[in-house]
Amino acid sequence: MVLAKTINDKISEMFNFEFVPQLFMSLLVMLIVLIFAIIVGTKARHAKVDEKPKGIFFLGILIFQTIDNFTLSIMNKKYRDFTRVMIVFVPYIFICFIISLTGLPSPIVYLATPLSLALVVFFMVHGTAIKENHWGYFKRYVDPFPVFLPINLISMWAPTISLTFRLFGNAMSGFCIMNIVYFGLETLSNALFTGTLVSGAIGVQSIFLAPLVTPFLHLYFDIFSGCIQTLVFSMLTLIYVSQEQSQEDENQVIEEVVSN
Amino acid sequence: MELYYIGIGMCMLGTTASAIGEGLICAHAIDNMGRNPEMYGKLRTAMILGCALDETTSIYCLLIAILLLFIH
Repeated sequence: MVLAKTINDKISEMFNFEFVPQLFMSLLVMLIVLIFAIIVGTKARHAKVDEKPKGIFFLGILIFQTIDNFTLSIMNKKYRDFTRVMIVFVPYIFICFIISLTGLPSPIVYLATPLSLALVVFFMVHGTAIKENHWGYFKRYVDPFPVFLPINLISMWAPTISLTFRLFGNAMSGFCIMNIVYFGLETLSNALFTGTLVSGAIGVQSIFLAPLVTPFLHLYFDIFSGCIQTLVFSMLTLIYVSQEQSQEDENQVIEEVVSN
Repeated sequence: MELYYIGIGMCMLGTTASAIGEGLICAHAIDNMGRNPEMYGKLRTAMILGCALDETTSIYCLLIAILLLFIH
């Protein structure tokens, strides 16, 4: 324990970086998603065609079909391989919100997590744009007039910043409000049971009032907010990437080639 | 008594714009739900998506208020 603390202190003074608990929570969330994926995958490999799926396998199929239909409703059918990207983001972000129900810190409260998710989306969008347009990608920076170059250079970061702050702001505001409510209710419970206004949690007598009020707040800030933010993040990613892809139908391309 | 407390209060006044915007989104969505009751599911999804997008500006205000409060 002391060795880990000295290593953490040395690294934080050398590199201006600290091993906060939210980093390890992020690894734990990834481990949960990985174990779930491995179990569903092995069950899928040994499943027979005419058996009904049961249990975890059924849940895996349900999640995959929901994300697949959602992706196909926004994207062109030619790019349906994009489901395999969405099936990584959606469970990760959802479980990141849900895990603060257990009292463990959520990884999204640490700014690096939503920033790295938004940067992955940034590279996907611009990579798709370069792959589709090759050198014509640079036309978007001088689009109406070349005078607009600084404005376009700044506005290319606007989706990244808004995606980051949407996730971070929702998670952080929920975290702050829950902490304040818990602190207040623990102080009140201390006052009721010991008669003194000792602030914070000091023992068994401070846990009696908080569970009467906070489940409803957890319902809004963790579950409802988590569902909506995953929906918004995935839908925005799909819309941004599908705007860079070519909009023509692949059947139409085949017809043109055959008629020529 | 420092003056940044007043700044925090003024910062949160910017969330009224987001509230008016979300009210407009929900008003138009409910109007059209009444007109075509069979489009209820799609309108509800679009309304929630629009509200979440509108929430972003008020979260920017909240972020600056929290930063001012704890890191003055």
